[in-house]
Amino acid sequence: MIEIKDLHVSVEGKKILKGLNLTINAGEVHAIMGPNGAGKSTLSNVIAGRDGYEITGGSITYKGDDLLEMSPEERAWAGVFLAFQYPVEIPGVNNTYLLKAGVNAKRKHQGLEELDAFDFMKTVKEKAALVELDPSFLSRSVNEGFSGGEKKRNEIFQMAVLEPSLALLDETDSGLDIDALRIVAGGVNKLRSPDRAIVMITHYQRLLDYIEPDFVHVLADGVIQKTGDKSLALELEEHGYDWVKENK
Amino acid sequence: MSVLAQTQQDALNLFEKIGLPTQRDEDWKYTDASRLKDLLESKVSGASVDIHNLGITELDAYRMVFINGVFTANESNLPQGISIESLATFETSNDNNEKELAKLFQVSSSDPLMNGFAAYNAATAKDGAAVCLKDNSKLDKPLYILHVSNQSHVIRHGLMLGKHAEAEVIEHFISLGEDKALSNATTAIILKDGARLEHSRIQQEGKSQSHVARVEVKQLANSSYTFHGVELGGILSRTDLVVDLHEQGASCSLNGLFVLGGRQHVDHHTRIDHTAPHCTSREHYRTVLDGRSHGVFNGKVMVHEGAIKTDSNMSNGNILLSKNAEIDTKPELEIYNDDVKCAHGATIGQLDDKQLFYLRSRGISAEAAQELLTFAFADEVLVAMSNQTVRSYVEKAAFAKLPHSDDLEGLLSE
Repeated sequence: MIEIKDLHVSVEGKKILKGLNLTINAGEVHAIMGPNGAGKSTLSNVIAGRDGYEITGGSITYKGDDLLEMSPEERAWAGVFLAFQYPVEIPGVNNTYLLKAGVNAKRKHQGLEELDAFDFMKTVKEKAALVELDPSFLSRSVNEGFSGGEKKRNEIFQMAVLEPSLALLDETDSGLDIDALRIVAGGVNKLRSPDRAIVMITHYQRLLDYIEPDFVHVLADGVIQKTGDKSLALELEEHGYDWVKENK
Repeated sequence: MSVLAQTQQDALNLFEKIGLPTQRDEDWKYTDASRLKDLLESKVSGASVDIHNLGITELDAYRMVFINGVFTANESNLPQGISIESLATFETSNDNNEKELAKLFQVSSSDPLMNGFAAYNAATAKDGAAVCLKDNSKLDKPLYILHVSNQSHVIRHGLMLGKHAEAEVIEHFISLGEDKALSNATTAIILKDGARLEHSRIQQEGKSQSHVARVEVKQLANSSYTFHGVELGGILSRTDLVVDLHEQGASCSLNGLFVLGGRQHVDHHTRIDHTAPHCTSREHYRTVLDGRSHGVFNGKVMVHEGAIKTDSNMSNGNILLSKNAEIDTKPELEIYNDDVKCAHGATIGQLDDKQLFYLRSRGISAEAAQELLTFAFADEVLVAMSNQTVRSYVEKAAFAKLPHSDDLEGLLSE
């Protein structure tokens, strides 16, 4: 689904990613772990198309196309979704309207009819139930006045409605208490499917107890240092990141 | 000479003394009124105007229609048993409240923001709405005052709400044709003890037309006044909004929205006088400026000696969509008293990059995201409108002025 080759990225002249390689196939769940400043968020932001990152080398091929040539909205239409680490509040923009506009823009791009308002609301309510999001949140402004946990839940709810092919979850577990984590993880598990890839970016092994990854990668110093299965996460938890660098 | 005729003569004398403002006057520094000089005089002609389908047609309201400043009874629909009538006939009445209404036509050089246009209005107005609500009465439907014009005209409304009376009044200005013209409109309001008024003014003059307005409000004890000023049309529009919180416990909430493009110029000067203790004022103005448009906001709050426990908050937010658009904003606060709570502030900016990226990452195009955020910014002021039919009309009209409006058609049906 996505193939990242020798990716070099700088932010304000500082090299963050230094030749990163990563291939992700449909149906797989990957976890990218690593210390602060390793470039985890940079990677997810670059995939989603955020401004402010200078690509100094390498390529990202997504479903056969050059992802780096696409605008953020084109990436969304092609099925890329980023669940933000810090979802922004947007006063005055209704949560449901945002999704309806997003879903219909994607459908329009695919040459499909816009969704009927009734069908759309039905879908939205079903998906809200998936992450136990109170229906009152649907008519509120995007993230405005939401608690940290509610914001994260809202991200996974949006993912459920937008049905991406590639979902990047950027520290979705941070700021969640154990009950909220269980609910959010439950929602993500229900969204696992053979034609969808999920990438979790996290500091902690905790999330992986709830969402079991097929692959675990350790990102440090701008490259993937080590790849393994979920046992790698447990080893990391025990030995720390320095152990990875010493045992490449 | 009748009381009204004498009052108008006094106003004419004042007009002749002070003349029209120039940019040398501090209050008119940013607005060049000289180009309105030749448009001042009312043009009276028999030209008929087709008003079919104009205005907020879906609004369930009492209607007063003024065509080129003249009351048009056959287009209007007034309640029984409540004194709402054309100013042209109001003199003959004897009711006590109506005598007080005559006071609404007095002007004085010492009135805050008094200027030649306002004096000329008082001196020459021949028609307008004369609304008197008796104590404890409530207007069961909004009063919708529709102004349609294709020529210069002068109009003056007087609203007097008796003790604990309640009403909603919507003034709407639409002009037709391409001729240069000036609407000179004043609304003078008295709210007695405990009276409540929600007052909207929607300015949608044509591309060649200008608009000069004055709204003055005197509030007695515990009365409440809510204003929504919406500026969408016209080439030059100036409004002076003067509120006197005259007795204890009065409160006002002034909301303003400008959505401008092209070479439009809109200037609101507001003045709130906290004359009495325990009064509350809220002011919230937002502007969205595109093209070479120019917005001016000057909000002044005066807290007079003795007005203890004053609670005042003013904010003004502005978004410039084009590098050629201009905003001059000046929130002012003068306090002659301790024991008050006052805040004011203004912001000028572009749209937030993080919000734009968030929307785009959800599949909304860059243009649509920009428009959505702009609309949301403007709509925050309209949230305060209690009449959803009026709000929806204004939203659609404001939205239509923003670029790329086709991409977000579904927005307003939510």
